[in-house]
Amino acid sequence: MIEASHISKEVATSAGTLRILDDVNLKVDDGEALAIVGPSGSGKSTLLGILAGLDLPSAGQVRINSEDITAMDEEGRAAMRARYVGFVFQSFQLLPSLTALENVALPLELRGDAHALETARRFLERVGLDARWHHYPRQLSGGEQQRVALARAFASQPKILFADEPTGNLDTVTGETINNLLFQLNREAGTTLILVTHERVLASRCHRRVELQAGRLVHSEAAMPVNS
Amino acid sequence: MMALKLLWRSWRGGQLGLIFGSLVMAVVVVTSVALLADRVERALVKESSNFLAADAQVRSSREMPSQWLVEAYDRGVMTAEMALFASMVYSGDYNHLASVKAVQDNYPLRGVLTLSETPFATKPEQFQQVDHGPPPGEAWVDSRLLPLLNMNLGDRLDVGEVSLRATRVIVEEPDRGGSFSLFGARVLMNWEDLAASGVIQPGSRVNYRLLLAAGDDDLADYLSWLEPQLAVHDRLLSPDEAQAGLTETLAQGRRFLLLAGSLGVVLAGIALALASRHFAVGQTATVALLKSWGVSARRVRALYWQQTLWLGLAGSLLGLALGWVIHEVLIVLVRELLPVNLPAPGWRPWLTGLATGLLCLLGFALPALWHLPALSPLVVLRRDMPVQLVGAIRRLLIGVVVVAAMLLWYSQSLAMTLAVLGGLALTAATVMGPGWLLLRLLRHLGNRAGSVWRLALGNLWRRRVQSLVLLAGFASAMAILMTLVMIRTSLLEEWRWQLAEDAPNHFLVNVAPHELAGVEKLLADNQLQSVGWYAMVRGRITLIDGQPPSEELVDSNEALRRELNLSWSSQLPEGNVVEWGAWWDQLGDFSGRYGENVAPVSIEQDLAEEIGVTLGSRLTFNVGGLTFEGLVTSIRSLNWDTMTPNFYILFPEGYLEKFPRIFMTSLYLPQDQKPFVNELLREYPTVLVIELDMVIDRIRTMVSQVTHGLELMTLLILGCGVLVMLSAVKLSMGERLQESAILRTLGSTGRRILAVQSLEFGALGALSGLLAASGAELALFLLQRRMFEAPFELHWALWACGPLLGALLVGALGVLYTRQSVTRPPLQVLSGL
Ligand SMILES: Nc1ncnc2c1ncn2[C@@H]1O[C@H](COP(=O)(O)OP(=O)(O)OP(=O)(O)O)[C@@H](O)[C@H]1O
Ligand SMILES: [Mg+2]
Repeated sequence: MIEASHISKEVATSAGTLRILDDVNLKVDDGEALAIVGPSGSGKSTLLGILAGLDLPSAGQVRINSEDITAMDEEGRAAMRARYVGFVFQSFQLLPSLTALENVALPLELRGDAHALETARRFLERVGLDARWHHYPRQLSGGEQQRVALARAFASQPKILFADEPTGNLDTVTGETINNLLFQLNREAGTTLILVTHERVLASRCHRRVELQAGRLVHSEAAMPVNS
Repeated sequence: MMALKLLWRSWRGGQLGLIFGSLVMAVVVVTSVALLADRVERALVKESSNFLAADAQVRSSREMPSQWLVEAYDRGVMTAEMALFASMVYSGDYNHLASVKAVQDNYPLRGVLTLSETPFATKPEQFQQVDHGPPPGEAWVDSRLLPLLNMNLGDRLDVGEVSLRATRVIVEEPDRGGSFSLFGARVLMNWEDLAASGVIQPGSRVNYRLLLAAGDDDLADYLSWLEPQLAVHDRLLSPDEAQAGLTETLAQGRRFLLLAGSLGVVLAGIALALASRHFAVGQTATVALLKSWGVSARRVRALYWQQTLWLGLAGSLLGLALGWVIHEVLIVLVRELLPVNLPAPGWRPWLTGLATGLLCLLGFALPALWHLPALSPLVVLRRDMPVQLVGAIRRLLIGVVVVAAMLLWYSQSLAMTLAVLGGLALTAATVMGPGWLLLRLLRHLGNRAGSVWRLALGNLWRRRVQSLVLLAGFASAMAILMTLVMIRTSLLEEWRWQLAEDAPNHFLVNVAPHELAGVEKLLADNQLQSVGWYAMVRGRITLIDGQPPSEELVDSNEALRRELNLSWSSQLPEGNVVEWGAWWDQLGDFSGRYGENVAPVSIEQDLAEEIGVTLGSRLTFNVGGLTFEGLVTSIRSLNWDTMTPNFYILFPEGYLEKFPRIFMTSLYLPQDQKPFVNELLREYPTVLVIELDMVIDRIRTMVSQVTHGLELMTLLILGCGVLVMLSAVKLSMGERLQESAILRTLGSTGRRILAVQSLEFGALGALSGLLAASGAELALFLLQRRMFEAPFELHWALWACGPLLGALLVGALGVLYTRQSVTRPPLQVLSGL
C-alpha cells in the first residue's frame, strides 16, 4: 500500500519559488491500478517520482507498506526501490551502448539473477520484439524503444510499477498490446500500477483515476472496474 | 563479475578506447625507459665491481719497478702486468691503428673475459667466459677489426715485428666500460710477445698497469708499503675511485631519460583526464538508472572502482608488454653505446610501469568519476539536474600531486622532482601564454574575414581551453622532435661544413727530436704538407698556489691526473684569443721579475675554470722529476675548429727548452694516401698517429644513434600528444555533432561544414607548429652556443615546415576524427539527443 499525505513540492528558480505540487493526498491499495491524468506541466511526473522514492517532497510523507520513505536517507530509499519499485520513464532511459536484450537484462544481472538473459528474452518476446534483441537503441524506433523500456520494467517483476506515459509513443494496435500486458501483470502478479497517461482508454481501464491541475489534486473518481 | 560485464560493454561501445590508449601510452613510455636504464645500469654496475679487473690497480707511464712485484709476491698479493698503447696492425695490404693491450697470462685477476668464436655474436649461447689472457702467439680482437683488416678468425695479423693468430673475438673486457671507443679496435695479446714486437721504444706513449688482488688485509698491508714509493706519474686506483665517475654518468643518463619519459606521462595523463571526463558524462545516465533501481551508492562505487582497477591492470599489462618491445628497439638503435651483453632486468622497472598505470588512473581517471556514486537518481527524470563534479582546480591539483609522486618515485630525489615539475609548469605557461594571445588575434582576424573563417576561428576561441590544452600537448612534443631532427641533420652538417675540405685530418704526436728531420723528409717525399711543427714537453701540475689540489678536484679533472703537453711560443697562436691578462709582448721585460725560476704562464680558460685557477695563480710543474713554478699571466680561449694543434698551457720562449722535448703536427692526408701512415709507422714506430677522420666519423655515428634513440622516444611523446588532441576533441564531439546537424538542417552543405572544421583544426595545428618552431629554435640556439660554439643562425626550414606539418597533421587527424558530424544524417543526430 502506498500512502501520500500532504505532499507539496517547491523548487527555487531564478524567478522565485515555484510550487509544483500543492498538498496532494493519495492512497493506493495493493494490486490497485491508478491513472494520473492532467494537462502538461501540471506536475504528474514530479508526483510519480516522489511516490517512487526517486525524489523528496518539500513537505509531507510517503509511506510504502507503512514505512515512511521520506524519513529515510538515500541509501534506505534505494533499498526500498530495489525491493518494491519498477519504473517506466517518459524518456525511456535506455543505455545506448547496450543491446535491447542487455538493456532488459541489466537490472536482473545487477540483482545476481543467473537466468537474466533468458528472462529478458522472454519479456522482449512478450512486447513483440524478440526478433530485435541484438539491436542497439539507436537502431530502434521511438515506439520500439518504449517497448524495450517496458520489457525492462516488467522483467524485474516489481511489486509496484510506475509508468510515465507508457504508451505515449505507440500506435493504437501496439498500444493496445502493451496495455493488455500491463493489466495482465497487474492481475497475475498482483502488481500495483500507477500510470501517468493522456489516453482516455488506458485511464478508463484503471480502477481509479485522479486528475492533477497546477499541482493540485482536483478530481478523483473510480473508473469502471476492468472485467477479466 | 558485474563490473567486468559493464566494462566490456563500455569497451564495446567505444567509450574506453582513449582512456585505455592513454593509459597504455603512459605505461609504455615509462616502462621502456625504465627497462633500458635498469639493464644498462645492471651491466655497468656488474662491470664496475670488477672494473679494474683487480682489487686495485697502479697506472703509470713507465714500466713497474721489479721491486714492487717481488714485494707483492712476498706479501701474498697476486699481480698481473699489462701495457696499453696504440699501434698500427697489419694483415696483408690492410692496416688499422689498433688499441693494443698486452697482458700476462693471469689477466684478469678479477672478473672474466667474454669471448666468442663468432664475430659480432650477440646471443649469450655464442659467448664463452674465460679468466685468462691469450696464450703467446695468439691475439683476441674486437669483431670490428676483422672487416677493417679484411681478415677472418684464424688469419694472422702483425703487431710490429711479431705475427699473431687471431683466434677469438672479444665481447667484453671487465676493465673496459661499454664497447664504444673513440680509438682503434682492441687487440689483446700476450705480454711475452711484447718485447719481440719491438713496438715499444724509449719515449713511446705507453700506459702500464699493475693489477693487484689479495685478501683485504694483505692488500691493505701491501698498499701502505707501496704508497710512499709512488712517483708523480704513478696513480693508484681502488674500485671505489673507479666507480665514482660511473655513478655520476649513470645518474645523468637516467635523469635525461626521466625527463623525456615524464613529459610523455604528463601528456598521457592529460589525455586520460579528458577522456575520463568524457566517459563520466556518458556514465551519468547509467548510474542514475542504476540508482533508480535501488542500487546503493556503495555498490555503485564498488562497481566503478572495480572497473577502474580491471582497466588499469589490463592497460598496464599491455603497456608493460609494449614497453618491452619498444625498449628492445631502443637497444638496437643505440647498440654501439651499450655493453654487448645486457643482463636481464630486475623487477623494479616492471613495478615502475605497473605503478605508473595505476597511479595515472588514480590521479587522472578517478577524479573525473568521483561524483558518480553520489549522483541523485533524479537525474533520470530531469536532464538539467546539476551534477556535483569534482572541481577542475581540485582535479588539476590531484593530477599535479600524482605526477609529483611519480617523479619522486622515478628519481628518488625531491630536488629533481621539483625541478622537473617547475620545468613542466614553465613549458605549459610558455606555450599557453602566447597560444592564448595568438588565438585572440586569430579571432579578431577571423571577424574581418569570410564567414567560413569567422566560424572556424570563432570555434577555436569558444573552445579555447580545449584549444590551449591541445596546443600545449602538441607544441611541446613537436618542439622536441624538431630539435632532435635538426641536431642530427643541420647541426652535424654545419659542423662538417666548418671543416674546410682540406682541413688537417691527422695528428702526428710524439715525434722525437732526432726523428724530426726524417719525418719531414718522408712528408716531403709524399708531397704532404704539415701545418708546422710544435715542440712540447710532457709534465704535470703538482701544486696550485703551493697546495696540492684537493682529492675531489683530482678525481673530477683528468688534467690533474695525467701528464699535459706543455709548449712555448713567442707569438699568440692563430685562433687563440687572450680573454684575461696580457700576452708576453705586453708584459715588458719579465725575466726574473716573478722570482728565481718562475715563468709566466698562459692557460686555456675552460681548464683554468675547472681547476680553479685565475690570473695571478701560482702553478707548480713537474717535468721529468724537476719542478719549477709558473705564474698565470693570461687566460686564453682556443678555436678547435681549425684542427691545428692547440695547447692548454703555453710558456714564453726560454723556459722549457732545457727539457727533453717531443714534436707534434697536423696534416691533411687525402683518402688515397692513407697507406702513408703505414710507411711512417714502419720507420718510426713510436710516433703516435691520431686519425681524426675516424674519430669524427665515430662521433657522428654516436650522435646519430643517440638522436635516433631519442627520436623514437619523441615519437612516443608525440603519440601522447595525439591522444591529448583526440580526447580534447572527443569532449566537444556531442556539441560538434549537434552544431553540424543544426547547420545542415538550416541548409548548410556538408562541404562547408567540413571546410570550417578543416580550417579550425588546421589553424590550431599551424599555431602548434609555430610555437613548436620557436621552442625548437630556442633550444637549438642554446645547444649551438654551448656545445658547438657556432654563431646563431635562423633555421628557416623549421619556420616553414613547423606550421605546415602541424596544420596538416592536426587538420587531418581532427577532420578524420570528427567527420561523422558531416556524414551522420542530421535527423539521427538530433533525435539521438
Ligand atoms: N527541478 C525543477 N526546477 C524547475 N522547474 C521544475 C523542476 N521540476 C519540475 N519543474 C516544473 O514543474 C512543472 C511540472 O513538471 P512535470 O514534469 O511534473 O510535469 P508533467 O505533468 O509531467 O508534464 P508532461 O505531461 O508534459 O510530462 C513543469 O512546469 C516543470 O518545468
Ligand atoms: Mg511528465
